[in-house]
Amino acid sequence: MDASFEEKSIWIQLIGTVAGIGGYLYVAAHMFTAGVDALPAYAAVFLVAVGLMVVILVLGHILVAVTGRAEQRDERDRLIKWRSESNSGWVLAAGIFVAITCMIFSINNVLIAHLLILTLFAATLMQYAFQIFYYRRGMR
Amino acid sequence: MSVPKPPAKIVIHNAIRPLRSQHNEMTQQELADRIGVSRQTVNAIETGKYFPSLEMAFRIAHVFDQPLEKVFICDIGN
Repeated sequence: MDASFEEKSIWIQLIGTVAGIGGYLYVAAHMFTAGVDALPAYAAVFLVAVGLMVVILVLGHILVAVTGRAEQRDERDRLIKWRSESNSGWVLAAGIFVAITCMIFSINNVLIAHLLILTLFAATLMQYAFQIFYYRRGMR
Repeated sequence: MSVPKPPAKIVIHNAIRPLRSQHNEMTQQELADRIGVSRQTVNAIETGKYFPSLEMAFRIAHVFDQPLEKVFICDIGN
């Protein structure tokens, strides 16, 4: 794949986020349906998920840096990042708005916390998807 | 008083590929190193997938020792 260091980094972050946070949300959904109703019980699983994500990010970036050429972010990378963040920011805003609405109606804290994590996960995935799209298709 | 309309279509081409050839077959990587971007960004500019900032455009023109309009050619349609 003819990709810059920055684009490869996006792919690594995408894989790390899906494996780490996506994996956590999958486990958390099973825990919730099994009746686990206290937030501290989820904390250990979340820490493991974040740890997994960090390991994937570190190993992935080391691999890319060793096999290729580590480069500084340039103006195209910055523009792609800004545009992608701008395109996906509304997902985060909508999720926070829904979470605040849930708080007003005193909905379970476990659900609200996971709604926020899910929102952050979705917004991040959307941002990475836009970044990869702009790297592949180009920006005119 | 009528307000003048902007041109309907502006197409920007560039002459980076032939200019690289004229400069001892300069590679995309060599050009990228001289203007401070990745090789993929030079490739994106050359193929019209990305339009560089004015500063970057001037940097490219400076590398080839050409005026900007010889490197980036603008076709304005109606």
